[in-house]
Amino acid sequence: MSTKEMDPVFTAALREALVATVKDTPRVRRRWRWRVGTGTFLGVTLVAGGVALASGVFSLPGAPVNTPLGNVITATRTGTATIDIGTPPATATDVSLALTCLTAGWFYFPNGSSMNCDSADFTHAPPSDGPASEVVPLTAGVDTVTIKTSPNATWMLQAMYVNQVTTSWGVNASGETYGVANQNGTPDLVAVIINQGHTDGYVKENELNCAAGGDVASLAEAAAWDKTSQNRNITIPVYESDGVTVVGTFTVGNATGPNSKTVPLSSLSLGC
Amino acid sequence: MRRAIKSELFARVTLTLMRTFLVVESPGEEPEAWAASLDNDGNAFAVVFDMHRDRVYHHALRMTTNVHDAEEVVAAAFFELWRRRKSVRVVDGSVLPWLLVTATNLSRNLTRGIRRYRSLIASLPRATEMRSSEDVALESIEETRLATIVREAISTLARADAALIVLTTFEHYSPAQAAVALGITDGAARTRLHRARTRMAAALGTWEDDKNINATKETNR
Repeated sequence: MSTKEMDPVFTAALREALVATVKDTPRVRRRWRWRVGTGTFLGVTLVAGGVALASGVFSLPGAPVNTPLGNVITATRTGTATIDIGTPPATATDVSLALTCLTAGWFYFPNGSSMNCDSADFTHAPPSDGPASEVVPLTAGVDTVTIKTSPNATWMLQAMYVNQVTTSWGVNASGETYGVANQNGTPDLVAVIINQGHTDGYVKENELNCAAGGDVASLAEAAAWDKTSQNRNITIPVYESDGVTVVGTFTVGNATGPNSKTVPLSSLSLGC
Repeated sequence: MRRAIKSELFARVTLTLMRTFLVVESPGEEPEAWAASLDNDGNAFAVVFDMHRDRVYHHALRMTTNVHDAEEVVAAAFFELWRRRKSVRVVDGSVLPWLLVTATNLSRNLTRGIRRYRSLIASLPRATEMRSSEDVALESIEETRLATIVREAISTLARADAALIVLTTFEHYSPAQAAVALGITDGAARTRLHRARTRMAAALGTWEDDKNINATKETNR
């Protein structure tokens, strides 16, 4: 093999990884609402100022790398339906799913993630923001994928078996880990996107946790926190991966009423 | 006389590398492919990858000591292209200058620059085992020698100056185009380029002097 050419196997794999990275990078959707993850951020709704990146993002440390296996299965259905995706290859660990709404309605992935498409999604050009993607683990002996929907909602699903490997978190000069939350836990600096997707950065896990009320010690405290949060959003700094350079702010909370206010975490005495 | 020798060597290095690494310029469809990439079109991003991977790889070979490192630089450069897509400077419809500058920076600081993607890159299969710098030395001794000269000379330059030399001297971009790629004014680019070329020539001269000293030592043994 000539050194003037890249290793063809490496090149093909890199190309595939790049395509998957681009396709699977979540975009900020103005009308679609996502419930991201379960438990990763202690149940906080992260919608006001940005979207915490869920697993499935390839280009960040700690994110999984999905190697495609086999063909893409495509099916179009109306209402809740189960799709047979065939026998998984021996090395398959997960199924990559891309779900496109063809009418308005609610649509639920097998892992509980959901999206809502309304009529406005079909009145602008292009008619929708493209498919929503999820990668769900295989269940032994189950070769089907079930999409639940609101009544008469029509959808198209593309499914493909993949082999998933989780990458390592990065470590900055201060020894802090950074990247996306995965099955190993949450890094010190958690990846976020802000400014309608125009800025990538990281929030400190302890600040995110504090702004999210993660230090409540009792149900009474949790109830009090929820009551306070009804009219309050909290902003925390967004950093470069060095954990020092501030590139913006991330808003925790979804208070939007006339009495709502948004305050920086540093202005509060939350004891965390 | 010494100045003339340095200039001659600089010109010879430049011409040889230009001849060695010259590839076809980007096809006209790049602006469309890049625009579609920004809309999460993975296949469009693959088109951009296919357009520029060889050029970036050839440059990375020039800047590193083995093909394994060069391939890592290419991979990291394209992942960075996607990660920093919102701020990539497009020059005349092409992201290639940005990729070349990024590959230069990554090559100058291999460990730090590529760490973000190390696990991901390591997970990608290869046709061959990793080979040592001797095993994977460029095709000819002359090219290897010239690549070493250039790499060491560029390593003496400041980061932005190195990028300017790469874009203008080895990759045929005008100072104005390089200025756009680096986000500096045309005037600043020309000033820095003059300084960089002087330092580059000095570095090449030092190398030539060292070579002559070593040759003298060998002769005296």
